[in-house]
Amino acid sequence: MFNSLRKIIKNGWEGFWRQGFLTFATSLVIFIAVVLGTSLFFFQGGISYLISEIENKIDVSVTFQEETLREDILKFREELSLLPEVKKVEYISQEEAYEVFVANNQDNQFMKALELLDINPFLPSLRIQATETSQYQYIADYVRRSEYKDSIAEVNDYKRGATIETLKNLTESIQLLGISLTIFLSLIAVIVTFNTLRLSIFSQKEEIEIMRLVGAKNGFIRGPFLFQGMLCGLFAALFSFIAFTITFFFMNEGLKELLMGFDCLLFFKENILIVLLLQFAVGVGLGVISSYFAVRKYLKN
Amino acid sequence: MIEFKNVTKEYPPNLVKESKVAIHNVSFKVKPGEFVTLCGRSGAGKTTILKLISCEEKPTEGEVFFNGKNTYDVKKSEAYLIRQKIGFIFQDFKLLSYKTVYENVAYALEAFSFNDKLVKDEVMQVLELVGLEGKNNCLPKELSGGEKQRVSIARALIHRPELILADEPTGNLDPYHSRDIAKILLKINESGSTVILSTHSKDIVNSLKKRVITIEDGRIIRDEENGVFSL
Repeated sequence: MFNSLRKIIKNGWEGFWRQGFLTFATSLVIFIAVVLGTSLFFFQGGISYLISEIENKIDVSVTFQEETLREDILKFREELSLLPEVKKVEYISQEEAYEVFVANNQDNQFMKALELLDINPFLPSLRIQATETSQYQYIADYVRRSEYKDSIAEVNDYKRGATIETLKNLTESIQLLGISLTIFLSLIAVIVTFNTLRLSIFSQKEEIEIMRLVGAKNGFIRGPFLFQGMLCGLFAALFSFIAFTITFFFMNEGLKELLMGFDCLLFFKENILIVLLLQFAVGVGLGVISSYFAVRKYLKN
Repeated sequence: MIEFKNVTKEYPPNLVKESKVAIHNVSFKVKPGEFVTLCGRSGAGKTTILKLISCEEKPTEGEVFFNGKNTYDVKKSEAYLIRQKIGFIFQDFKLLSYKTVYENVAYALEAFSFNDKLVKDEVMQVLELVGLEGKNNCLPKELSGGEKQRVSIARALIHRPELILADEPTGNLDPYHSRDIAKILLKINESGSTVILSTHSKDIVNSLKKRVITIEDGRIIRDEENGVFSL
């Protein structure tokens, strides 16, 4: 058993190096498949990031009249935060609103106008985030019907939620498209890898024939080819991991700009084990499965 | 050891060829230790008979027995057990060009879980038997046709098979080397192995003075002890 395993590994290793160009071609095809798979994983990550960014940017803003007591607003905040439709409620006092405005409008005409007024024209408000974008209308209606309705100066245009909902649906459609694309491209990768490996195994069909005729078991004949496929997959996964690491370390800023703030390096670091597992599973899996089917043809009789 | 009972083998049609009856209603027996020459023109059905013995093909009709076992009942996954009892010799040698003489012969033993020491002993012994001592580090391209065929014979013998199937082993050789190979096959037969030699060489058939089964268009037309080539 151990002797057979040793011979399978030895023959597979020799075949891997002896075939030179075909090994390179097979590894390259698997490398492309692994890069494709990993890119699609990052694509899914980017889409999820985009959805969460969109969701975080949406809110219902409720502005209170100046004379409304802080305690009342905080009480209303408590009431709202108990609603299952509400994810987060943030209280913004007059002073905080002023500070935010100052920070965002340094040295422009609005700031100059504000300085001329010499008063704080901002009103206290509550910034409400919903669990789901479809729930903004319900939250806005709830606020308008609440016992604090007379203290409310304005509830901002909640119809924005509907627009955002459309945008979110669009993003989800892109995500679905991404999954379909992943499946489609993975299928192509399997077919291309299978055919490249078949070509590689075709060049070794004489070894297969000899082994069959001397009475080797199919498992023993198949073994070195599976090991060879596994090696191609391992090398492809390793190079793919190195390529992604280098790309993210040196080009992250550019990518961040290109991908609307999606931090690829951070996502890579947070998911490094999944990325490693994905790359090695795709690489080794493609190599071994394709080898299995490619060699099967010669073992049929 | 081998028995063919009314065996017919028909290859089904494909895109480029019509169906073809390779052998028709063939019956014969081969006893252990016998030397049998299958004689016939190209396409007569000699190779089909060898393939039926080695379980590479199954008969369309009739039965083929190997050591009393009907080969039709042998599962694909168990065919290797039959092949382990057979040594194959081919016209085109089927040597691996990147392996040395030693490695080509030892390669056949990899199917069996022998340790390296035993493999070395066996290979050196069999290379000596076929007269290739001292050539173990040569690559096939450095050998003559006759020497390549000796390597092929050595590889066929290495696992001590009960039966040797030689399919036109002298087809690519000149008369001198052909006689040489025939002598080696006789030597193997004398050591106890059954030999079935397929050939269309008149010189070889007549020089062997062994049993000759003559096949024409897939049928046995003659089966005689100490036979001669008569086509």
